Amino acid sequence: MNTAKVTAVDTTAGIEVTGVSRAFGSVLAVEHIDLQARPGEVTALVGPNGAGKTTLLLMLATLLAPDAGTIRMAGIDPLAAPRKVRATMGWMPDGFGTWDALTVREVLETVAAAYDLGPAAARTRTAELLELVHLGELADRPARVLSRGQKQRLGLARALVNHPSILLLDEPASGLDPRSRIELRDILRQLAASGATLLVSSHILTELQEIADRAVVVARGCSVAVQDLSSDSTSAPGSVQRVSHWRITSLDPPRLMAALAHHGVATQPLSDAVDVEVAGDVAASELLAILVGDGIPITAFAPSYGALETAYLAATEDRQ
Amino acid sequence: MSLHGVRTVAVLELRQRLRTSRWPVVLGIWFLIIGAVAGLTWWAVSSQPVNPAGTLSGDRGTTLYDVVLFFVLGLGMLVVPSLTATSINGDREQGILATLQTTLLTSADIVIGKLVASWAISLAFLLAASPFLVWAWIAGGVEIGRMLLAVTVLLFVLAVICALGLMFSTLTARTIASAVLTYLSVAALTFGTVISFLISMPIMATQQSVQVKVVPEAWYQNHQPTNPEDKVDIQPTAADCVFENREQTVLHTERTWWLLALNPFVVVADAAPSRKPINFLGFEPLQLISDGARTARMGTTPESLNECWPETQPNPGGGDGFQDPQAQQAQQQQAQRERLNKVHAVWPYGFGFLGLIGVGSTLVAVRRLRTPIHKLPRGTRIA
Repeated sequence: MNTAKVTAVDTTAGIEVTGVSRAFGSVLAVEHIDLQARPGEVTALVGPNGAGKTTLLLMLATLLAPDAGTIRMAGIDPLAAPRKVRATMGWMPDGFGTWDALTVREVLETVAAAYDLGPAAARTRTAELLELVHLGELADRPARVLSRGQKQRLGLARALVNHPSILLLDEPASGLDPRSRIELRDILRQLAASGATLLVSSHILTELQEIADRAVVVARGCSVAVQDLSSDSTSAPGSVQRVSHWRITSLDPPRLMAALAHHGVATQPLSDAVDVEVAGDVAASELLAILVGDGIPITAFAPSYGALETAYLAATEDRQ
Repeated sequence: MSLHGVRTVAVLELRQRLRTSRWPVVLGIWFLIIGAVAGLTWWAVSSQPVNPAGTLSGDRGTTLYDVVLFFVLGLGMLVVPSLTATSINGDREQGILATLQTTLLTSADIVIGKLVASWAISLAFLLAASPFLVWAWIAGGVEIGRMLLAVTVLLFVLAVICALGLMFSTLTARTIASAVLTYLSVAALTFGTVISFLISMPIMATQQSVQVKVVPEAWYQNHQPTNPEDKVDIQPTAADCVFENREQTVLHTERTWWLLALNPFVVVADAAPSRKPINFLGFEPLQLISDGARTARMGTTPESLNECWPETQPNPGGGDGFQDPQAQQAQQQQAQRERLNKVHAVWPYGFGFLGLIGVGSTLVAVRRLRTPIHKLPRGTRIA
């Protein structure tokens, strides 16, 4: 059979999107997106509002058919075998509702039943997930009384019911308090470490920097840039020392600038700080020592996400 | 589609509805309304003066049964569309449909599950009205088999309306639009069919020559009293009647009766009538509807062209050899009842038609829920 090639589950394949476009009537929501998300990695999907992120995620979530281009989810074409994709995929939409008359436990048990789990298996899986997202104490409360952050956690649990090898998360951190945010980050890193493919869309660049290995910047329906974010050199063995970005704030900016120029450091001045590029973490600590040695009043010396920010700003410069 | 999937959706839907809406209150009001109608009907038939002819007043049970069933159907058709008409686009608006669609549930699981859930709720309404049907049965006059057939057909009609509402809720993005369309469709089935039938009558009518049985003019001329003072009153008898050819307007309801058969009220009424002699005194809406539809199907018959009044009307004069007028009227009504009973039942046609609507609506709904969506209707939200 012709479709056999694209309906066999390959959990090592991740997400592959090639030249996908989708229009709604005369509005071109997604013009041309190429994207690859590899297993074991968290891939960030970044872009301004209306860039086509959610439309892309709907296509990946087997809900919407692309007008052109191909999508492979774990090696499967969602058009040819949507149920196979669904069996191996978890999706946490942005701004989803929930069955507000059901309790938290019932919501998860219902989703488990929808994934063909029997009652006993559904109960077990529900208990595991409640534990994972720390909703155990609220398990028998109606879902409608949950706060926004708690709802987000329930949404995450719901997306994980079927042990997905691919996880699509649309703005997962919105509404989360700092503690939940850190827990979310840990859960996502764990899932990636266990070999799952994660695609996370978000606006919060600093947070993505912490979570994601790579970022795909999307603007006006096109994928415009891919940014490697991993500072972990083990993920790219044998690669040359990577350039890292740091942001320095001083009580005396002119002196700081002069010192940096004196030491031949590449700088990018900002309104109240300066971004510098140095060859890795060791070089950064050395630079700090030199600057302090020079007597420059440093008030902050922190990793900068300038690269992602720069890529993002460049890509979205000409938006309305 | 799987049993497990349908069950999952139906249980979810029922839990959601039973906990969010005030169904106990609605069911209570429903029970009180049907109870009030049943009580008033009972009061009315009990206080009706006993008809000397006996057979005419009929059994109180049949009247009660007839009225209760009529109201259950009428009110049911008002309540049931609200169960499904906003079901799917409402879920879309709340963003809870897509999370089901990305599970292993198929679109058929979702549609059939929702249909089963809403039908189960309409069953609850019927159950709330059932004490009054049992009352009618105890009062006597209605066969249990006929009652069960009527209730089955009623539940079928309600299921079709559920399916219709569900289809519209997949067709429009806004819940208000699907609700209006569903109520309009129910109105089209209930009133539209009758109006079309009435309009069709003059259109289908023809001028033609028919044989009419009459008391001939010649008889009156021959029996003209010679002396106006003469008190002897000679009446024609049935034997004096002759057939005459006459050019007149003939209605052809036998060509358009099927318009009536599409009406849910006709379907339930014709499946359910108590089939007792026509009683002009009682109020038996289902019986009247059924008789009307069957009369339409019968069209123009020799009986309807019988203008031989000594034969068709009770003789007010009584006397020589004539029967008691009321007994005679009863006999004629019995004859009309037998003629109507001989007409093939009308309801199976409507039953089949409504069945097609139900199955068709369900298929459309299943199709509209299929994902991945290729063509997205304007204004529709996916998630």
